[in-house]
Amino acid sequence: MARLLTGPRAAVWSSLTAIVMTLLTAGVLLLVMGRNPAVAFYSFLQGCGFAPKANYGGGSGMLSDLFDFLTYLAPMLLASLAFIVAFKAGLFNIGIAGQMLAAGFLATVLAGYNKTLPSPAAKLIVVVIGIAAGGLVGAFVGYLKYRFNIHEVVSTIMINYIISYLTGFFINNNYVDMMTRTSRVCSPAARLCLTNVQIGGVNCKIPFGMLIALAAAFAVHFLFSRTTVGFELKAVGRNAHCAQYFGVRVGRRLVLAMALSGMLAGLAGVNYYLGYTNTIIPKTLAAMGYDSISVALLGSASPIGAIFAAVIVSIFQQGANYMSSMVGVAKEIASLITGILLLYASCGTYMKIRAERVLQRAADRTRDAGQGGSGQREEA
Amino acid sequence: MGEYVVEMRHITKRFPGIVANDDVSVSIRRGEVYALLGENGAGKSTLMSMLFGMYEPDGGEILIDGQKVVFHSSTDAAARRIGMVHQHFKLVGNYTVAENIVLGIEPMKKKFGFLPWVDMQEANQKIRELSAKYGLEVNPTDRIEDLPVSVCQRVEILKMLYRQAEIMIFDEPTAVLTPQEIDFLLQIIDGLRKDGKTIILITHKMEEIKRIADRCAILRRGRLIDVRNVADTSVQEMADMMVGRPVNLSQEKPEARFGETVLTVSGLTVSDEHHFDVVRNVSFSIRSGEIFAIAGVAGNGQTEIADAIAGMVKIASGSVKLLNTDITAASVRERALAGISYIPEDRQGTGVILDFSLRDNLALREYFREPFSKNGILNDEKFNSYAEDLIARYDIRSGQGAATQVRSMSGGNQQKAIIGREVEEHSKLIIFVQPTRGLDIGAIENIRREILAERERGAAILLISLELEEIMALADTVGVIYRGELLKTAPCTELTSQDVGLYMMGVKQA
Repeated sequence: MARLLTGPRAAVWSSLTAIVMTLLTAGVLLLVMGRNPAVAFYSFLQGCGFAPKANYGGGSGMLSDLFDFLTYLAPMLLASLAFIVAFKAGLFNIGIAGQMLAAGFLATVLAGYNKTLPSPAAKLIVVVIGIAAGGLVGAFVGYLKYRFNIHEVVSTIMINYIISYLTGFFINNNYVDMMTRTSRVCSPAARLCLTNVQIGGVNCKIPFGMLIALAAAFAVHFLFSRTTVGFELKAVGRNAHCAQYFGVRVGRRLVLAMALSGMLAGLAGVNYYLGYTNTIIPKTLAAMGYDSISVALLGSASPIGAIFAAVIVSIFQQGANYMSSMVGVAKEIASLITGILLLYASCGTYMKIRAERVLQRAADRTRDAGQGGSGQREEA
Repeated sequence: MGEYVVEMRHITKRFPGIVANDDVSVSIRRGEVYALLGENGAGKSTLMSMLFGMYEPDGGEILIDGQKVVFHSSTDAAARRIGMVHQHFKLVGNYTVAENIVLGIEPMKKKFGFLPWVDMQEANQKIRELSAKYGLEVNPTDRIEDLPVSVCQRVEILKMLYRQAEIMIFDEPTAVLTPQEIDFLLQIIDGLRKDGKTIILITHKMEEIKRIADRCAILRRGRLIDVRNVADTSVQEMADMMVGRPVNLSQEKPEARFGETVLTVSGLTVSDEHHFDVVRNVSFSIRSGEIFAIAGVAGNGQTEIADAIAGMVKIASGSVKLLNTDITAASVRERALAGISYIPEDRQGTGVILDFSLRDNLALREYFREPFSKNGILNDEKFNSYAEDLIARYDIRSGQGAATQVRSMSGGNQQKAIIGREVEEHSKLIIFVQPTRGLDIGAIENIRREILAERERGAAILLISLELEEIMALADTVGVIYRGELLKTAPCTELTSQDVGLYMMGVKQA
C-alpha cells in the first residue's frame, strides 16, 4: 500500500484510502449504535437507486431513485468545480452557498414565476441568469481583493449573510407560499429537469444539469491543462509575485478566477433551486455549498477527480433519508460521514509522507540484511 | 581518547534518482577547522545533515569520540554536543534573541513554589555573558525580525554555544554576508577554535578556506576526491579538484565595442509603501555592448531601480526610455516584448514558480505567443522541445529532466534555468541582479561567461551586484549608489576598488 501512495497515481490511491477509512470509521460508529453497518451502507445505495429497494410506491422504481440522485449530483459537482477553479488560483471561495442562493433566487423570481415563457426559452434564461448572477457576485469578491486587499474568506462569509437575509426578506414579503413557508414553486417550464417522464413504467425526473455539470468538469480540466489562461491562473495561485514578474496582470486574473468560480456556483445554484428542490427556504444557505469543499478536496482539487468524489458524497447525502427509515439512525449521520471523509481526505499528504518513510525503512532493512544483517532497527 | 573526534566511515546516502554521498569517509581532529569544499549538489550539506541527525545514512557508520552512534534526530546529535548553523536560519521571527536561543531548553523556575515559569531574566544574563566571552555582540531582548542577517547568524552561533556544542557545523555561512561581516565571522571562528571547539565549514569559497581552515576535504558529485592540508594546497589546485577540470579563475574580457544608446533612465524616483523615496532622481544610460554596473551596500535602492525598469514597481517621477520609445507607462509584458530581460534578485520567490515543472518555468517568457500557443491553446510539444533544447544548451541539471519540479533542483541549476530563459529572448537590455549570489565557482564562471557573451552580442547590460570583485571584473561603467542616489558614475578603468568602497559607504562625495 505504501508503494501505491507514493506512485504516479498517488492522488487516486489516497482518495480511495480515505473512502475505505471513512467506511470503517462509520461502520464502527454504527456498530456502537447497535446497527448493522452492512445493512446501513446498502440502504444508502438503495436510496440512490443503485440497488433495488424491497418495495416501491405507486409509479416509482429504482430508475426514479437513480434520476433523483443525478438531480442532486449535478449541482454538487458544479459547486465543487466552482471551489476548484478558485482554489487553483490560490483563492478559497467559501461563498459558494451564497452565490448559489443569489443565482437561484434571481432565476426563480425573474424566470420561474413567469407563466408566459415557452419551455426552452425559460430554461435558457434560467441558465443565463444563474451564470450572470453567480459570476457577478464572484467578480465582486475578486475585485474587493484586487482593489482593497480584502481577503476572500472574509468577504465571502459577509456576502453569504447579506444574500441569505436579503433573499429571505424578499421571499417572505413577496414570494412566500403560505402553506410551506418557503418560496412558491416555479413553473415547470423554467425547471432544469423534465418531470413525470415515463421510463419502463416508472415516473422519472430527467435532469439537464448532469449534462451541464459533466461538460463543465471537462471544460475546467481543459482550462487548466491546455490553455494560456489556465496556465496564468495556476501561476497566480502558486506564486503571484513570479506571475507579475513574467507579465501576468495578477489583479485581473484574481477577478477572473473568482468570476469563473462564481459562474459555476451560479450554475450549481439554478440546478439546485430550480432542479432539485424547486423552492427556496428563506434565510437558509444550502449545505451543499460547504459539502462541495469536501468533494473538491477528496478529488485532490482535480476536476475529473471531483466527478467521482461528488458521486461518493452525494450517495451519503441523498441516500440518508432511506437509510434513516430502514435502520433508524437519524439522517444527519450523512453529514457526519461527509465530515469524516473530509478529515481523511485532508490527511492524504500526511499519509503520503508516512508511506515514503515506510518504504525508506524497508529499503534500509533489505540493504542491512544484504550486508550481513547488523541492523537492529526498530519497526516503524 | 583517539585522535579523531568525528569519524564518518563509508557513508552512502541515496535520494530518488541520485546518489548524494557515495562511500565517503572523513575523519576530523579535535580543535581543527575542517572545510568541506564542493560545488552545488556535491553532497557536502547531505553529509553534514547526517552528522547532525537530520537524515540517516543508507550505508556506513558514524563515530563520535571513537564510539559508534546512530542518530534518529538532531536532538540525538545535540546530546552528543553537535551543533549546526544552517544556510537558511532556523529562527522564530517574532521571538526575541534570548527566547530563540533558549527555545527547547528554557531555564525553569517554580513561581510560588509550584507554578513552572521560564526565567527569562536568567536566560538574558547567561546570553550576555556568552556574547561577551566570544565577542558576539547581540541584545538578548531584540526581536529577530528587526535584525539584519549578520546578527541573526550570531544568534545561531550563540544557540550552539548555549547548548554547549563542541562540534560546530557551519553551512555556507558567508553566502549572505558583506566583506566586512565575513572578516568578522572568520575572526569568531578562529576564536572558537582557540577555545578548543571543532569547526566544520561547508563552503565553496576557496579564499575563506585559505584564510581559516586547517584541512579541507573536496567532494565532487557525491564522491570524496581528496583531503588536503590547506597550507600546502593552492587556490587553483582546490578549484580544479572541485570542478574536475582546470578552471579559469580570471575571466578574459574582450575590448568594448559600444553602439547606440539602448536604455536611458532620467530623474528616476521610486517610493516605497510608506512614501519614502528609496530611489532618488537617478539618471544614467547604457549603450549597446556596454555593461553598466551599480555597486552599493544591500538595501540602498538597487533592486528598486531594476524593478522600476522592468515595470514591477510604480515610478514616482522620472522616465525610462528603451531605444527611442518611452516605456515609463508600459506594462511588464509590453516592456519584455519591447526587449527587456530580467534576472531578478530573489531567484526562488520571483524568478521561478517552485511548484511548476522545469518545462513550464522555461516557457514563462513565451507561452502566450506562437508557436507555444495558438488562440490561447497551449502547444505541449513546443513546450517540451524548447525545454529539452535549453536544458542541453545551458547545461541545466535536474533529476527527471524537463518534468522535474523546480523546487527539487539546486539553487545553481535554478539560476541556470532563469538565465537560459532570459538570455534566450535575445533582448536589447538584460538586467542581472545578484546573478551569482550563493553559487559555486563552476556556476559563477559559467554565468560570467554568459554575461560577457551577451555583451559581445551587443546587448546593453545592467548588472547589479553586492560583490565588488564581480563588478570590477565585468563592468565597463560603474555607478555607485548610496541611499537611493547615484553618487558617482565613471568608466570602470578610472576607479579602483578602494574608491568604489568609499563611495559605497557614502564617505566620498562626487
